[in-house]
Amino acid sequence: MANTLSFSSETMKQYEWLLTRYPTRRAVLLPTLRLAESEFGELGVPEMRFVADLMEIPPAFVFGVVTFYTHYRRAGTGKYNIQVCSTLSCALRGSEDVVSRITERLGIGPGETTPCGQFSLSKVECLGSCDTAPMLQCNDDYHEDLTLEDVDQLIEQLRAEADGGQNG
Amino acid sequence: MANNPTNDSAVSMTKWQLNGQEVENHAGMTIMEAAKEHGIEIPCFCYHPGLSIAGNCRICMVESNRSHKPVISCSERIAEGLEIETDSEVAVDARNSVMEFQLINHPLDCPVCDKSGECVLQDHSYAHGPDRSRFVEDKNIRHTKELGPDISIWGNRCIVCTRCVRFCDEISGTSELCIVERGDRSVVDVFPEIPIDNQLAGNTVDICPVGALISHDFKYEARVWNMDRIDSVCGGCSRGCNIEVETLDGFVKRLIPRENLDVNDWWMCDEGRYGWRHLYADDRITQATRDGAEQTDSAATDALEELLSESGPVAFLIDPFLTCEELHLVQGLAASRPGSKVGGWLPADGTAASFPSGFQISAAKYPNRSGAEQVFGDQVFGDDAKQLQKSLLSNGFDTVIAFCGGHQSTGPGDSWTQALANTATRIVFSVMNGPWLEGASLVLPATAPIEKEGTWINEDGRLQRTRSCWNPGTDPFAVELVRLQALQHALGLRGRSLSAAGVFRELAAANTAFSGHNHSDLGSPGLLLSERPAAVASDGGTE
Ligand code: SF4
Ligand code: SF4
Ligand code: FES
Ligand code: FES
Repeated sequence: MANTLSFSSETMKQYEWLLTRYPTRRAVLLPTLRLAESEFGELGVPEMRFVADLMEIPPAFVFGVVTFYTHYRRAGTGKYNIQVCSTLSCALRGSEDVVSRITERLGIGPGETTPCGQFSLSKVECLGSCDTAPMLQCNDDYHEDLTLEDVDQLIEQLRAEADGGQNG
Repeated sequence: MANNPTNDSAVSMTKWQLNGQEVENHAGMTIMEAAKEHGIEIPCFCYHPGLSIAGNCRICMVESNRSHKPVISCSERIAEGLEIETDSEVAVDARNSVMEFQLINHPLDCPVCDKSGECVLQDHSYAHGPDRSRFVEDKNIRHTKELGPDISIWGNRCIVCTRCVRFCDEISGTSELCIVERGDRSVVDVFPEIPIDNQLAGNTVDICPVGALISHDFKYEARVWNMDRIDSVCGGCSRGCNIEVETLDGFVKRLIPRENLDVNDWWMCDEGRYGWRHLYADDRITQATRDGAEQTDSAATDALEELLSESGPVAFLIDPFLTCEELHLVQGLAASRPGSKVGGWLPADGTAASFPSGFQISAAKYPNRSGAEQVFGDQVFGDDAKQLQKSLLSNGFDTVIAFCGGHQSTGPGDSWTQALANTATRIVFSVMNGPWLEGASLVLPATAPIEKEGTWINEDGRLQRTRSCWNPGTDPFAVELVRLQALQHALGLRGRSLSAAGVFRELAAANTAFSGHNHSDLGSPGLLLSERPAAVASDGGTE
């Protein structure tokens, strides 16, 4: 599979710097995937293959790592990636209701993406914000101490943003 | 090959306690390996002696005086003063809990699972599993898909022990497999469009402790408890990997490797593993023919006698598939016909390969070149063969007996086929049909490597015993070992016929290279030809 992807020289410099910061090459994989994610927008098959070739580690290993974490943006994820924490504190404080509410509003269940490609929903493990449970993460932002009204509001806001933004 | 700390007599000993008994083992051993030496088998899923220790399945937990919680015996090492209980309440409880956990999502579809009967999970479930499930939620679903041309994964059965992943990382060095996702969704997979397709891939199916990895070749072919097994040796190349041949109603269904740390560790290559289908191919020779007309077994032996009793010197063309015993019989015949000549043909070289673990595949795609060279001298495939071909081409012999084993469609090759065609009386033992049989006076069915009973010498000079996978009582044709002895008997060269072990005794008495050896002392690992069995006779070495 010929790979046409490449890192910009700026990103390449960061990668080379990372190599000096970790004891083994495999240990550099996590931050390198972050670089690839921001450079290419998502981690799909070509992107994972690119990282594997760049780092000279088996593609299968990269695949295992990318799919292990929920924190990487996999190919096919909607523009807004809504990840609802479902671990203990959040669960006790009503994360299931948060998920149902989103499902109601968007018409998708956990693990699904809206046909328009705007929204993805998933349930994830603890996001380290237990004191403000229940909470969700949308792209890079945390939304904490959620009520169902907050959820409605967030979705309205995201919809408006999506409609108002560039077509596509 | 594999490093085995128990074989190193220089290491010091450690005293520890196992189930209340004071015991001693080599320092540095794991609890599991040490306990095994005292006859205590601790259950394991993820541990495999040929792979690195992963310690992920937890089924091997035992109670320790050095820890508040149970410890995993596959990775904890023994130490002075350590006290281990393998069957205390704490240990049994720990195992039962792990079993219950493993079975939460396991489909328990044993009735349709190929692994059933040799499944580690099934065995432990029987011994340690609860007889009912407290799990009322839905079981999860994981993918069932092809991972490569010969292997599929039944994801629901995977217990994520990572044996298969470690095999590809450490033994084949090809790293095609990984675990994707996590938690109860985790399962084995390959990178998209990079299938598992290495020369050792089939071993992953063997070491999968459950029926998650399935071999396409064996899928739904047989229930394992119905099969007969025989300890054999692969004739696919000059490594001579130790294998088990499994048959159902006399038909081969599967070959699997048999542990031999001096030859193949726990592995075999896929070429050897799947290389048995030709046994049942349409162009397999199963019937003797004389000038094209079918013969019964006894008529064929009579014909052989008739053709030979009047013959002068005979040309013998041997192959590197014949056992040492068969070669010895050929030698006896050659000696009885003064002026006879012996030469051998070799199949073309294939490709050799070696792997990070030290496992090797030889380019010499036949099992017993070394044996033939011990019996007939080191020029039997060299100058002797050249001379034999020359004299056949110049009509130097009236009679030739040729052995054409193996399953290559090229057989002994064009120049030998031509040389054979130059001889008036042509007797050919052959496994497969091919141009070398054209115009033969007498065609006799021959045994393929895994059908032979006897010994081979691998490329390291290791004498190994292989056993026939079929029952001679029901086979459709007489084997060379039987027919050659019948011929010797008819020609007045021997009294009664012997088993392969008996013929080997004659060989050992006649040939100093083999002297001192006998079948029963070879045991399962075989012996280097240079090592005399006296070294092992003291610890039994019986068969
Ligand atoms: S497929 Fe088999 S060997 Fe591989 S991780 Fe799953 S259970 Fe273990
Ligand atoms: S390496 Fe050679 S002897 Fe071993 S299994 Fe493969 S073909 Fe057979
Ligand atoms: S449990 Fe939800 S953030 Fe920790
Ligand atoms: S065998 Fe010890 S943890 Fe799996």
